[in-house]
Amino acid sequence: MNGRGRALLRLFAVQGVWNYERMLGVGLGYAAEPLLEDLKIADPVRHSEAVVRSAEFFNCNPNLAGLALGATVRAEYDAEPGTQVVRLRSALCSPLGALGDQLFWAGLLPGLVGATLAALVLGAAGRAIVAFLVAYNLVRVWTAVWALRTGLASGMAVGRAIGASWIPKAVPLVGNAAGLLVGFALPLVATWYLRPFGLLSGFSVGLVVAAGVAAGRLFGARMTGSRFALAAVLVTLLFRLVTR
Amino acid sequence: MTDPFVLAALLAWGTLVGLDLVSVAQSMIARPVVAGAVAGMLLGDPAAGFRVGVLLELFALDVLPIGAARYPDYGPATVAAAAVAAGSPWELSLGLAGTVGLLVSVVGGWSLQQLRRRNAEAVQRHTAALAAGESAAIRRLQYGGIARDTLRSALLTAVGLLAAWAAARVLVLDRRTAIALTLVLVGAGLAAALGGALRGAGRSRRRRWLAAGLVLGFALAVLR
Repeated sequence: MNGRGRALLRLFAVQGVWNYERMLGVGLGYAAEPLLEDLKIADPVRHSEAVVRSAEFFNCNPNLAGLALGATVRAEYDAEPGTQVVRLRSALCSPLGALGDQLFWAGLLPGLVGATLAALVLGAAGRAIVAFLVAYNLVRVWTAVWALRTGLASGMAVGRAIGASWIPKAVPLVGNAAGLLVGFALPLVATWYLRPFGLLSGFSVGLVVAAGVAAGRLFGARMTGSRFALAAVLVTLLFRLVTR
Repeated sequence: MTDPFVLAALLAWGTLVGLDLVSVAQSMIARPVVAGAVAGMLLGDPAAGFRVGVLLELFALDVLPIGAARYPDYGPATVAAAAVAAGSPWELSLGLAGTVGLLVSVVGGWSLQQLRRRNAEAVQRHTAALAAGESAAIRRLQYGGIARDTLRSALLTAVGLLAAWAAARVLVLDRRTAIALTLVLVGAGLAAALGGALRGAGRSRRRRWLAAGLVLGFALAVLR
């Protein structure tokens, strides 16, 4: 396998040593290693400096890390000044984080999960889960290949390449689709669970849903879904203990 | 669940899904709906795996795994929850299974924080080698981080399975309490997913798409 293929594989473990010190930095350095090998022969001093830079602090969405990896490696081969490479790396953190998080964590993933839940409760069962895994991984592997290729081709001009790419256009589309699919799945999942319990259970579960959403709005990020659920379980157990 | 082969398979599966969450692959086998389905199959009760997986997936939809944010680890937790639910009518076991799953997921979130701290300490120990541009140091750190996460995931799954075994043995709930717990957790799960979707939509056009989806879903649910 050539350096590019090995770097691509290593990108799938880019968060292998995620930490508060350098975040994705060391993982990106690990992925950069095969791409920098040719530099070792051509310019050993530059190679050593490039390895140091490759493992410094970096953070972004892991699915778009290939853009930063490719661009910084290309900049090293183009003999750009080291300070410029560091600045490029820092400048890419926020946009690649924001775009990747919106595209994958807030868009593609909840959208596909919504579709999977709907298909599963409508009777697709295991096929829905296989389809989810295949669809998600096709998109993310294709994105990783595209990202590394685009980064390597663009170097210092990677910002322009990202701006002109499909990503900024896809973010709102995928986000809207995710809203639709999650919304579509929730009533189907609710009836899947509540059908055996009758109409009255629907009313009481509706109250819990209203209380949960209201608690989330009232207390913000402190009241996560799991915290509310555990509090509700505790209240239910105490109530049952008292009224038994 | 006392079959040693099933236990070993559950432990291996929980370790894999724990690793998949952050460190290696992120292929989404760590999603509760996937982790639960496979755990259910390993336990010989795929339906229980689906029920538990979908329930915990509702909670996972509330989570955005962004940067340094602290979030629960639902993968190994779902494996433990499936172990509680398997072999019993889901209407009676889902509440207890979901509660065990949520508690294990919180412990999982805490264990991720500890892992990140240990990784940072390892990076600090290798500062000189990193500053000297030693590729071997980068590789050592990377493999060390993955090994630590493997250990974390295996331990979390083991703790989860132990909690599942204890819950099934010790907590014998009467029928009404068991059903009440199931309904409360289904409601809380729906609230978490809806709350997450509303937060994700903000005031953008996405909120209209969410509303349209809810209307369509309701219509289909009524018609079925």
